[in-house]
Amino acid sequence: MTDLLFLAFAAVTIGAAILAIEARDLVYGAAALGIAFLGVAGLFFLLDAAYVGWFQIAVYIGAVVVLILFTVMLVGPKMGEAPLGLKRVSLLAAILVSLLLGMTGALANATAFPGKDSCGSGCDLYLLSTSLLKNYGVQLEFMSLVMAAAVIGALALSKTDRGP
Amino acid sequence: MLGPLQPLIDMVTSPLFLMIVLFPGLTSIAIIGALLGWLERKVTARVQLRIGPLYASPAGGILQMFADLIKLSFKELFVPENSDAFFFIMAPTTGLVIGAALVGLIPFAPGLQIANIEVGLPAFLAIITLSPSLVLLAGWSANSKFPFIGGLRALFQQTAYEIPLWLSALGVIMMAGTLNLAQIVAAQSTGWFIIPQALGAFIFLVTSVAEMERLPFDLPEAESEIMMGWQAEYPGVLFLAAQGPGFVKLYAFSALFTTIYLGGFLGPSLLPPLFWMLSKTLVVIILIMLLRSTFPRVRLDQLLRAGWTTLLTLAIVNIGITYLLVVGLPTF
Amino acid sequence: MEPLSSFFAVSVILLGIGIYGLTTKRNAIRILFSVELIYNAANLNLIAFARLRNPPIVTGQVLVLFTIALAAMEAAVGLSIIILVSRLNAEIDLSKLSKLKG
Repeated sequence: MTDLLFLAFAAVTIGAAILAIEARDLVYGAAALGIAFLGVAGLFFLLDAAYVGWFQIAVYIGAVVVLILFTVMLVGPKMGEAPLGLKRVSLLAAILVSLLLGMTGALANATAFPGKDSCGSGCDLYLLSTSLLKNYGVQLEFMSLVMAAAVIGALALSKTDRGP
Repeated sequence: MLGPLQPLIDMVTSPLFLMIVLFPGLTSIAIIGALLGWLERKVTARVQLRIGPLYASPAGGILQMFADLIKLSFKELFVPENSDAFFFIMAPTTGLVIGAALVGLIPFAPGLQIANIEVGLPAFLAIITLSPSLVLLAGWSANSKFPFIGGLRALFQQTAYEIPLWLSALGVIMMAGTLNLAQIVAAQSTGWFIIPQALGAFIFLVTSVAEMERLPFDLPEAESEIMMGWQAEYPGVLFLAAQGPGFVKLYAFSALFTTIYLGGFLGPSLLPPLFWMLSKTLVVIILIMLLRSTFPRVRLDQLLRAGWTTLLTLAIVNIGITYLLVVGLPTF
Repeated sequence: MEPLSSFFAVSVILLGIGIYGLTTKRNAIRILFSVELIYNAANLNLIAFARLRNPPIVTGQVLVLFTIALAAMEAAVGLSIIILVSRLNAEIDLSKLSKLKG
């Protein structure tokens, strides 16, 4: 059961990620990106991180994909899509990617990593929340500071002088 | 005696004037025209054997809905030229799936719940965030002005209501100490959360009406401004699929409101829990429908301003109040 | 049970796709897509590695919560920069934006 689910989620994630980069229309790219995020959320569920998975769906699809779609609509879906010739950069990229894929093969063969055990107390929601608020409280506060800075920065960037 | 007014009176009482104003003239033209409109409806209805919805079936025309459904599903199904067929068909059907998934998370009675997951409340709110992007894709795919405006309005609207919605739900989570919907219901056995969470319940109701895109927040559809907005181009069955999620979401959100604020299926034990759950949900649905028929539509900038200033502030105040209720005064 | 290494494999493939997009694409929005994919690869890795110990450590999930929030902020600021650039230059092809060149 888990095997089939894992294969389905992994295939959806990887296929949608490739489509997101390669789709000719940026709107299709953004939608595929959303589906890739959904697939990653599904993998989180399989790893017993349900809360993080729902958080991923809410933030990535509810906020990031919405923002991206909005920008695509505002900028124009067909903009900046010049055909690419084979360049040195893409050659380098191809080499890098194949290197990574090779590493993946080596990883998959390695026996150093055990199977995933039943999660037990380690995936407890209570433990997650207390750890987030007690052990990482200071970091959380800094996070909200960064978030406030980001909001103000985005507002300042997108403010125009025309209009009321 | 009347002197200068005499010619005027003569004119008013002259047969020609009366003919112009009364019988073959203006007044009778207006009345007969209006009556003919009524007569034409009656005659064509008789000829085509159509009877009004009040008489179509017992209980105030309850079957008229199904007649409309059958009629719509026999309409020609076509995808407008130059539109994006994939998203045009995909968006409303996915919307239906999302609406159904929402209902699956609600506990209707002890054990009568499709998915009893540990993080039910965030899951519900996370699933609901998918729908505005689908509305935008539907509006964009139709390749037409009004649907596109409707889709963009849905996105703007989401940025206005999303944050107050989550923050108001946070109050309930703080009171119950759990994210599981069934346990939230169980935590209300000592008292419904609507009393300590009155402010939060108000914010939740307002923002969820905005999420459902119902009046007074139905900006993406707004039939009098942008003629049904993103649904404008949908034919036949697809129109049904586009309309459907609105009603399914109304049902799901009312059930969620009942679950987290009105004690869910709890109630005196003379009647089964399912009865309490459904009757409370019906009350919330009727309340939301009353909102629809009472308030005029707001403008987009009013909604954005209200969401980012009033509702956000109130939601944060509500979290402060809940902190005081749950923890007590902070000690330094 | 699924071995953890297959989750790492998905993560590495996602990272590879992200780096490929980052190096070959010139559209600013497309590059943002790639950055988001790389973020997701990192998140998946963190969650999977948190399961290595028994009982699993919860820090991985906490870190991922932080990363997701950071990614959302990065998208907000990045997209507003893209909108500004497109407004000023009518172009978001990064290879053609050379105003800052000395």
